[in-house]
Amino acid sequence: MTSSATTFANQRSVSFGFALLIVVLYIFLLAPLVAIVGSSFTQSLLIEFPPKGLSLRWYVEFFSRHDLVSGLIMSLRIGMITAIVTTVIAVMAGLAGRTLRGRLSGWFQVGMALPLLVPELLTAVGLLFFLYEIDLGKTVVGLQMGHILMSFPYAYVSISAALRQVPSSLEEASASMGATGWQTFRLVILPLVMPGVAMGAIFAFINSFDLYTISLLLKPLGGNTLPLALFDFLTYEFKPTAAAAATISIVLSLIGVALVQKLVGLQRAF
Amino acid sequence: MATVEVTGLQKRYQDFLALDGVSLKAKTGQLISLLGPSGCGKSTTLRCLAGFLEPNGGDILVDGESIVSTPANRRGFGVVFQDYALFPHMTVAENVGYGLRLKRLPKGEIATRVYDVMKLVRLDGLDRRLPKEISGGQQQRVALARALVLQPRLLLLDEPLANLDARLRDEVRWLIRDVQQQSGITAFYVTHDQSEAMAMSDMVAVMKAGRVAQFATPREIYQKPTERYVADFTGEANFLPVSQVTGTGEGSYRIVVAGTDLEVTGVPDIPIGWDAELLLRPESLSLVAPDAGTFRGRVTKSAFLGAALHCEITLDDGDVLRLAADPNEQVSAEGKVGVAIDRSHAWLMPKVAP
Repeated sequence: MTSSATTFANQRSVSFGFALLIVVLYIFLLAPLVAIVGSSFTQSLLIEFPPKGLSLRWYVEFFSRHDLVSGLIMSLRIGMITAIVTTVIAVMAGLAGRTLRGRLSGWFQVGMALPLLVPELLTAVGLLFFLYEIDLGKTVVGLQMGHILMSFPYAYVSISAALRQVPSSLEEASASMGATGWQTFRLVILPLVMPGVAMGAIFAFINSFDLYTISLLLKPLGGNTLPLALFDFLTYEFKPTAAAAATISIVLSLIGVALVQKLVGLQRAF
Repeated sequence: MATVEVTGLQKRYQDFLALDGVSLKAKTGQLISLLGPSGCGKSTTLRCLAGFLEPNGGDILVDGESIVSTPANRRGFGVVFQDYALFPHMTVAENVGYGLRLKRLPKGEIATRVYDVMKLVRLDGLDRRLPKEISGGQQQRVALARALVLQPRLLLLDEPLANLDARLRDEVRWLIRDVQQQSGITAFYVTHDQSEAMAMSDMVAVMKAGRVAQFATPREIYQKPTERYVADFTGEANFLPVSQVTGTGEGSYRIVVAGTDLEVTGVPDIPIGWDAELLLRPESLSLVAPDAGTFRGRVTKSAFLGAALHCEITLDDGDVLRLAADPNEQVSAEGKVGVAIDRSHAWLMPKVAP
C-alpha cells in the first residue's frame, strides 16, 4: 500500500513539474511576441514594454516610409512565388521519394533536406558565385532562386509526410478501375494530401519571409527585403516603427494559418 | 466471362525468386483459390494478374491473348484489396461510381448502375456515408461493389476477409460467392484460410515457395493430396510412416504400416524407394473393440468437444493417431482399443513430391 501511494505521489509531482516546464516554455516562446506587439502601440519615441499610452502612429509611420514598404512588398512577392514554386517541386519530389525503397529512400530524404544541413552562409556564398557565373548576380531572379532553395526542405518535409500517409493500395485500386496516373493524382492523392500541401506552402512562405543571410548576399541592386530594410532602419533609429513592422509580419503569418484552417483544416495537416 | 491461362510465371526480387514457374488455368465463371502460408507467392501471383507487378518470365493469357504488357489501368479487371482501399474522401456512392466517372458516362447512368450494384451487395441506403462511418463488413462490400460495377472480365480478390471478424467473414464470403456465380465472372481468390478456399472455390491451387504444389478441385486437394505439405495445409491429418511399398497397378499399392499389411490407393507413380506416408484424415478412422479393426493401441488423450470426442491413440509401435469419436463413446484413459480405417479414404503419398 505504502509503496503504491509513494509512486502515486511521485507521479503527481512529476506531472506537476512537467506542467510547470510547459508553462515556462510557452512564456519563453510567447513573451517576445507579446512584448513586440504591445510596444508597437506605444505613444513614446522608444521601443518599450509595457507601452506608454495607445496609438497607431508607428503604423502610420511605417506605411509612410518608402524603404520599409517597398521591402514589405518585395518580401511578400518573393515569399508567394517561393511558396508556389517550392510546393510544386516538393509534391513532385515527394511522389518520387515515395516509390523508392530501402536505403535509397533514406538517402533521398537526406538529399532533399541538404539546404537545411549546410550552413546558410555557405550556401549563400556558393550561390553568389554561381549566380554571377550565369549573369544573374544581384538580380531579383537570383534572390528568388536562393529563397526557393532555402525554403524547399520545409515544404518537402510537410508534403512528403502527408504523401506517406496515403496507402499505395489506393493508387492500385484507382488504376484497376481504369484511371491514368494523372487522374489518380488529381482525384485521389491530391485531395488527400491537400492539408499537408497547404501547410508546406505556408512553411515555405514564412521561411522565405524570414530569411536574412541569403537575402543580404543575393539582394538585387537597390532592392531590399523587409528583414534587410528593418535592419538598415534599426542601425540608425530605434523607433517603434520596427515593432509595428514585426507586428505586421506576425499578422500576415496568422492570416496564412487561418486560411489553411478555413480551407482544409489544420488538424488534418498533421 | 473470360478464360485465364497462366504459364511458367516467374518473379524475381534481386536474388529471391518469389514466383518460380507458376502455371494455372481458369475456365469461364470459375473461382480459383490461391492457398498457402504467407510468403508462398499467392499474393505476388495475384498482383501479376492485376498488373501491379511485372513478371520476369512466363505469360498470362486472358481469352487467349497475352496481357503481360498491358498496364493495370487498361486490363479491365476488378480488384478487391485486403485493406479495402476505399477512397476516404469520397462517399460510398462516389467510391462505387469512381470507375464509371472516369469513363465519362452520363450522370444519370452512373447513378442507376451504382444503385443497382449497391442493391446487389445489400448496401442500399448507405450511399451518402463516408467509408469511416460504416462497419468493416460494409466497407468490404463497398470495395466489392466498386469492382463489380465496371463489369470486369476478371475479379481478383486479395484476402478480402482477413480483416473481418468471424461472423462477418461468413456473411461476406457467401455474398462474394453468390455474386460471382450470378454474374458468371471468372475470379481469383487469395487466402491463407483452407476452409474458406474449400468452401468457395471450383479449383484450389495450393502454393509452396513460389510454386503450385497442387492445382485441383477442393475434394481432390483434401482427399488426394500430392504430398504431405498439401495435406497438412488443408486440414487435420494423420501421417503414418510406411515400409515395403509395392505397386500393384496404376495408383494402387501394397504397403506395410504399423506392422499391418494393407492394400491402398495413392498418388500414381511414386518412385521405388521414395519416402512415402499414409494419410489418414481423422474422420476416416473409428474406434472399435480392442481385438477388431486394423490397428491396436491405447487412448492417451481425450477431449470432449460436444459434437465430437477428440482422442489421441498411441499405437503399439509408438505412432500416434488423432481421431474424432462418437461423443457418447465410453473411452477409458489407458484402455486398449482397436482402430478401424475406411480403406477408401486412406491415401498413400510421397512425403515430398518427387
